[in-house]
Amino acid sequence: MALLTLNVNGQTYTNVNVPDTGMPLLWLLRDILGLTGTKYGCGIEVCGACTVLVGGQAEKSCEFDVGSAVGKKIVTIEGLSPAGTQSHPVQKAWIANQVPQCGYCQSGMIMACVGAVNAGHHGTEILNEMGNLCVCGTYQRVRSAVSTL
Amino acid sequence: MPFTHRTTPAAEFPTVSPDIETPAQAADLSTMGRRGFLATALGGLSIAFALPDVGRVFGAKAAGGPTPQALASAYIRIGTDGTITLMFGGSEMGQGAKTGLGQILAEELMVDWRQVTVQQSPVDPIVTYITGGSSAVSGRYDNLRIAGAAARESLIAAAMLSSGDHTRANYSAASGAVTYTGGATAKSWLYKDLALAAASPAAQALVPTTLPLTDPSKFRIIGQSVQRVDIPSKTDGSAKFGIDIWFPNMVFAAIKHCPTVGGTLASTPQKPSGAIAVVPCTASDNRGLVVAGSVNAVAVVANNTWSAKNMANSLNVSWKLPASTATVDSTQLLAQAQTLLTASSGVLTAEPAPPAGSATTAAQQTGLVEPSVLATLGTPTVDATYVLPHLAHATLEVVNCTVRLTYDSTNKMVTLCEIWAPTQAANWVAGTALGLINAAPAQASNPLTAAGVVVNTTFLGGGLGRKIEQDYISQAVQVALAVKVPVKLTWSREEDMTNDNYRPMAVVNVKAKLSSGAISAWYLRNVSGSILGQRGWMAPGTVDSQAVEGAVGLPYSLGNHIVEWAPLNAGIPLGFWRSVGTSINAFAVECTIDELAQKAGLDPFVFRNSLVSDSRVKAVLAAASQMSSWRSSLPSGHAWGMAMAEWNGTIVCEVVDVSLQSGSLRVNRVACAVDCGQVINPNQVEAQMQGGIVHGLNAAMWGQITFTAGKANQKNFSNYRMIRPGEMPQITVQIVPSSASPSGTGEPGVPPIAPAIANAYSRLLNSRVRTLPFFPGATMGD
Ligand code: FES
Ligand code: FES
Repeated sequence: MALLTLNVNGQTYTNVNVPDTGMPLLWLLRDILGLTGTKYGCGIEVCGACTVLVGGQAEKSCEFDVGSAVGKKIVTIEGLSPAGTQSHPVQKAWIANQVPQCGYCQSGMIMACVGAVNAGHHGTEILNEMGNLCVCGTYQRVRSAVSTL
Repeated sequence: MPFTHRTTPAAEFPTVSPDIETPAQAADLSTMGRRGFLATALGGLSIAFALPDVGRVFGAKAAGGPTPQALASAYIRIGTDGTITLMFGGSEMGQGAKTGLGQILAEELMVDWRQVTVQQSPVDPIVTYITGGSSAVSGRYDNLRIAGAAARESLIAAAMLSSGDHTRANYSAASGAVTYTGGATAKSWLYKDLALAAASPAAQALVPTTLPLTDPSKFRIIGQSVQRVDIPSKTDGSAKFGIDIWFPNMVFAAIKHCPTVGGTLASTPQKPSGAIAVVPCTASDNRGLVVAGSVNAVAVVANNTWSAKNMANSLNVSWKLPASTATVDSTQLLAQAQTLLTASSGVLTAEPAPPAGSATTAAQQTGLVEPSVLATLGTPTVDATYVLPHLAHATLEVVNCTVRLTYDSTNKMVTLCEIWAPTQAANWVAGTALGLINAAPAQASNPLTAAGVVVNTTFLGGGLGRKIEQDYISQAVQVALAVKVPVKLTWSREEDMTNDNYRPMAVVNVKAKLSSGAISAWYLRNVSGSILGQRGWMAPGTVDSQAVEGAVGLPYSLGNHIVEWAPLNAGIPLGFWRSVGTSINAFAVECTIDELAQKAGLDPFVFRNSLVSDSRVKAVLAAASQMSSWRSSLPSGHAWGMAMAEWNGTIVCEVVDVSLQSGSLRVNRVACAVDCGQVINPNQVEAQMQGGIVHGLNAAMWGQITFTAGKANQKNFSNYRMIRPGEMPQITVQIVPSSASPSGTGEPGVPPIAPAIANAYSRLLNSRVRTLPFFPGATMGD
């Protein structure tokens, strides 16, 4: 057990009780902080469903050590834009291109895209950076959305 | 104070005001009026109507299994506050069902589609629906239109009562209002102001028996690419999937199955330190070597999912394995299937069916028809054997289920069971829960009734046929009964992939004879496991419709032909995988047809066109050919291939452009022509085709689950490869206009892609690949 202070979506959470040493960021977000927008898909850093931003950079949270997120700004899908607005340019592009099908991979897709844009990538580079799995096969619309960014 | 749990429970699911779905009203459904509708005044006009429980699974089950639910129902409600609501009992798993249904209702109700709210019914078992067979929208089209018209005519009848003129021709409905033009001055009423009177017996008496439906040429909303209502919530993390359900005092469970199919628990393992409970769980259904009621898994309960998952993973469990599990081995199964390819007994004829009224069995028919087909075949022009593997569903959201039980004052008897689950079969979920709860001695004198079970269907992070199953639901209820607090059971990816209900492996042999450019004889034998047989949904000795679909009723003229099926008893749990048997048979059929075209020296489009007479099929072929005009100018190192399949009324033809890239095949583009009857939302048809193509492509290139001594070898995406965003081919979809009734789009995009790629491959490398996947053993890293 450890008590940590974390900054998630601009909010400071003090004395966050990490019940098990080694609990990765994903489960802390989902089960302890209740931010369920970030998804579990594989748990082994392959599918990208769990992608969040840590210090502006896209990270797969399913094996991301909570301790190394301390002192950095964590942004999850819920914190990308004010609640209910979907006003981030990537969200807008996703809606305009009607990207999601089941939607389960999309939080990770969007966060990976934001991370790639933050890192200065453009066009196809963004797609290659993303690498997220979408079992529904929404990739073509992801590509269309990315091309408008 | 330490922050140990989130303090704001998410706004989960709206509870529906009880006046919409009370058991009393459910009973009324059996006494519905002459038009099959029941109009009641409950805060406005409520139209209850029957929706047929359609779809692949339901149809299959009705054919030979337990008694199906005779009536599934829905409600349209027009409130005095102006709201228009459709209660939907099906599943939204990415196919845009809610949007499509809203469009259909809005069309007949003469309102803007944005005015219609489609709500998930949190279902008592009366509003049931199984979402499978690509039926969520198409299967409800007719009845929903009729119900929408009934609501509209009821509102017009209310206007008639108000004005006193009962001449229907003097009224029109548009934009949520009824207008009267029979008097000196036009008069107009908003729906909300008519809603109460519309439900009155006086108004209902004025509603015509035959309801006028909108002429399709005048459709305003059906056929439009309106934006999907669920999409914004799927871009900001607010969409709630089953895995996202949370309650303040909830506990979290993970599962560990016996890793060997058919194994059972030898003794209950010790509770790991830090765990809340260890709960042995019984299997819900018979599936191959898995026996219903046997203890084949153990759940570990903890105070978060991650701990539960880890503890389950490292739990030391001793299992009892039946001797037969050793034969659950892909190599041995393949050998067994190959023997059945030439066996003379244990084979059943799927086509031609015995003449009506004859007592001939499917097995006797084989003996009758086979010799004449073999005689015409002589030396076949093509004699090819195709091998296809078991496949996992691998929905990105692993299976999971949340259960909250309410007990009486003695804390022994369950008085309410609430379930939240990503499920394709809400009514079965209710049945599963009732069965388990009422088995407890405490319930003996006071069993929980159907009204005591509420099933909330959440968003599904992919359904793909996996989420009709009851295994995970049953386990969650068992754990809830053991711990008596709300519990969410989440399978790990590894458990999900190694304990699936798999697409069956199959070996298919096709022999065909070409005579003067046409097919004079065709022999197809499919050897595969029986999805329906495993479930007891068909009589033994009959043909499993799921095994032979896509091999029977082909649009091609095949001359003297026979289609046979030899059941393979693999012991492996089998299930409905997107496009089911057609995903297997279309590969064998379309590769063979292509090979015949090659032998005939004909273009594959020309050859196919010469074999079909159905004008819809011809139109799809023509459209696909035209869309892929790039075939004639491909760069060197590229090749094209095509294939076509018909699935439950939807016809799809796909053309691919492939090339070799660093030793691997790359699909560069796909042209897809589809006729799916009347289109509700073209944008969604396109999305479903794109999705189906990707699904089929992943399987063709890399998909396979192999078994060694009863254990699945692939456990996670690391060795169950799928394409990544940068590898996506450019897919062009063209909808061929059609006035036929709508047919589904979820599944039919899948079958043509594997044979289209194989046919392109043979053109590229001059060698035929007949075993899937093309690249076995592929891996994926981060
Ligand atoms: S859940 Fe983290 S990459 Fe799949
Ligand atoms: S939208 Fe379903 S997995 Fe991507």
